[in-house]
Amino acid sequence: MTHPDPSPHSSPRMPSHTLAELSPGRAARVLEVTGQDNLRLRLLEMGFVPGTLVRIVKRAPFGDPLELRVRGGHISLRRAEAARIGVEPA
Amino acid sequence: MSPSSSVRIALAGNPNVGKTSIFNGLTGARHKVGNYAGVTVELREGHVRPEHAHGRLLTLLDLPGTYSLTPVAEDEAVAFRALTGSVGAPPDVVLLVLDAANLGRNLYLALQLLEQGRPLAIALNMVDVAAAAGLHIDPTRLGALLGVPIVATVGRTGQGLSELVEAALRALEAGPAAPALALRQRLLAPPDPGEPLASALAQLPEIDPARARALLGARAAGTLDLLALGPDERRIAERIAEPLAIAAAAELVCARYREVDQILAGLGLAEHTFEGAPAMGTSERIDRLLTHPVLGLVVFVGVMALLFTSIFAWAEPLMGQIELAITWLSGQTKDTLGPGLFTDLLTEGVIAGVGNVLVFIPQIALLFLLLGLLEDSGYMARAAFLIDRLMARVGLHGKAFVPLLSGYACAIPAILGARTISSFKDRLVTILMIPYMSCSARLPIYVLLISAFFEGDRDVGPFTLGGLVLLGMYALSTFSAIAIGALYKRTILRSPTPPLVLELPPYRLPRLRNTLLQVYDRTGDFVREAGTVILAMTIVLWALLSFPKPPEPDARATATTEQVAPEPDAAIVTSIGGRVGRAIEPILEPMGQDWRVGIAILGSFAAREVMVSTLGLVYGIEGADDDDRPLREALRGARDPDGAPRYTPLSALALMVFYVYACLCMSTIAVVRRETRSWRWPLFMFVSMTALAYLAAVLVYQVGHLLGFS
Repeated sequence: MTHPDPSPHSSPRMPSHTLAELSPGRAARVLEVTGQDNLRLRLLEMGFVPGTLVRIVKRAPFGDPLELRVRGGHISLRRAEAARIGVEPA
Repeated sequence: MSPSSSVRIALAGNPNVGKTSIFNGLTGARHKVGNYAGVTVELREGHVRPEHAHGRLLTLLDLPGTYSLTPVAEDEAVAFRALTGSVGAPPDVVLLVLDAANLGRNLYLALQLLEQGRPLAIALNMVDVAAAAGLHIDPTRLGALLGVPIVATVGRTGQGLSELVEAALRALEAGPAAPALALRQRLLAPPDPGEPLASALAQLPEIDPARARALLGARAAGTLDLLALGPDERRIAERIAEPLAIAAAAELVCARYREVDQILAGLGLAEHTFEGAPAMGTSERIDRLLTHPVLGLVVFVGVMALLFTSIFAWAEPLMGQIELAITWLSGQTKDTLGPGLFTDLLTEGVIAGVGNVLVFIPQIALLFLLLGLLEDSGYMARAAFLIDRLMARVGLHGKAFVPLLSGYACAIPAILGARTISSFKDRLVTILMIPYMSCSARLPIYVLLISAFFEGDRDVGPFTLGGLVLLGMYALSTFSAIAIGALYKRTILRSPTPPLVLELPPYRLPRLRNTLLQVYDRTGDFVREAGTVILAMTIVLWALLSFPKPPEPDARATATTEQVAPEPDAAIVTSIGGRVGRAIEPILEPMGQDWRVGIAILGSFAAREVMVSTLGLVYGIEGADDDDRPLREALRGARDPDGAPRYTPLSALALMVFYVYACLCMSTIAVVRRETRSWRWPLFMFVSMTALAYLAAVLVYQVGHLLGFS
């Protein structure tokens, strides 16, 4: 997957939003996954690594969780989990 | 390696990539389900069919479907342990199944496997689906980029299976090609100094670099205990502070994904190719209905109603047939052998016990069939997505909904259905909640007591009194199950609400054959593992309610003389169980019950609905389970020596509340033992539920009394 900034390590940018704040239909690029637990690891392993493009597909009927499209697959996260993913809108 | 020697092949892959079809295709679905100590994840093992085996003896081990080898949960830990040989012999070669339409994430596992350095071959599966979606992936090109033998397969049709085995053998004999070695070297290269990974690895100098990276992942996930490490290795891994391990493991994940992105670029798959992939277009269109805020919920309720009806109603005729067959067999045995102790043991112990096991099979098979088809189609993930918000309030995963709902029909299939929950603690919470759901076996008891002591038909507004009391019992059971779940999540099984991180796979037509095989495996497992315990308990219970025998002639003589009220069945009253029933009368009095109900409670341990026929026997009424009207009359008319009614609406209500809570079902206990692999949890469940049942019933009776009810 090609992305405009091939080495996200060289110029760390501060995320302006978290994934939980974006409305359905919007897309954003992952900048960081925060936290000090194995959820961080799991989110990274599911493909939410810095540089990856994510699209918010929809919210579940009760407003939570979210359906996200990442790396060609669809993943559902609760908003509390999506709030751990810092992004910049694309 | 000589061509005659046996080769062990491990089959790995993400969930939903069609691994099961490939396993069934290669082995002809002849396999055994492995049971590993302390592990609830199913591991299947089988031999590759001769027509695919190229003259070799090949054993295929089906690893659990996982997104990675980092042991975040039990599934990955089992896969990792099987790959590294800490359970059984390590595989000679790994066969990785990749979903051609989802390489962006699937390749991550490929890189982790390359990193671990086992010989690797790849099945590029579902090339047909990818092609239909406009994703044309060249297997040769991907094979060259990875340095690994690769075969395009269509698991459903069996296309490419023989070539796949050939590729695995080639990987084993030729060893890794140059690109694979270079990839592995990059993945295992010493990290940039100053980064967390470098400091973490510096603390593991005595450990092989690939193994060190795996240990770092486990340390970061807090799951070192899942890896069955030796004491030395464990001590070394624990030297690393957890925050450092997490930062280091995160660095490893990013490095692996950088390689994934390089490979994707090498295949000409740009990011926008994924963004617009029309395969998900179809799924997204289906989802517009199935996860629609209103219509999606309507469909959800419909699907759940279907699931529920299947185990509540559809299983009924089959269960009736099994009961008829057992009765017939029992009658035949009695006729052939004549009366006697041995005949009783055979008919009321062994044959009844086998019947108690077999009678669950229709429900279990139906539930697993429907769950399997829904899972395979992709709908179960949507169901969890829709209902997660409500389940998260209790602290559970959306996947806990279906097992809990099934509990209204029968706890046995419901508890088995909780296997879809991956966290053991959450699965246990769900298992402990299920027996509180008011199952169908409680219904005959409610009906008997309501019709005997409440004017069931009296109108209360638009409802009837009987209907309202019944509704009250179901409401009490639902509320209690939720409260118990919330309590356990905060106390003895405290754990955070599990993260959702749920894949919503593309919708697919379910494969009936795979599902039927799974139904067969799981039903067989129930019969073997729980069935033996149920059979043994039936025999013990029969003995308790039959011995010692009453002095035969006397009892019969009085029974034949003219009596106003029918005499109780002497055998049950003089038995050990009967004596226990009498002995516990003082304990039962505070909840408004007498020793006759005590015996019925003991009898209902075989299954709750047996309470009705046992109470019938105590009142000398045969066949109360078929027609409970004589028993109703007997209960209503029963008087104490002082002429006061023996039972009242209040005592009936207390007894119903007792049955809402009491764990009077040996099959539930047997199944919980099977699922938790210990007697600890079933005993805890039995004691806590029975204690709660007693307290609640006493509370209802005593408070009711104080308030002036009778």
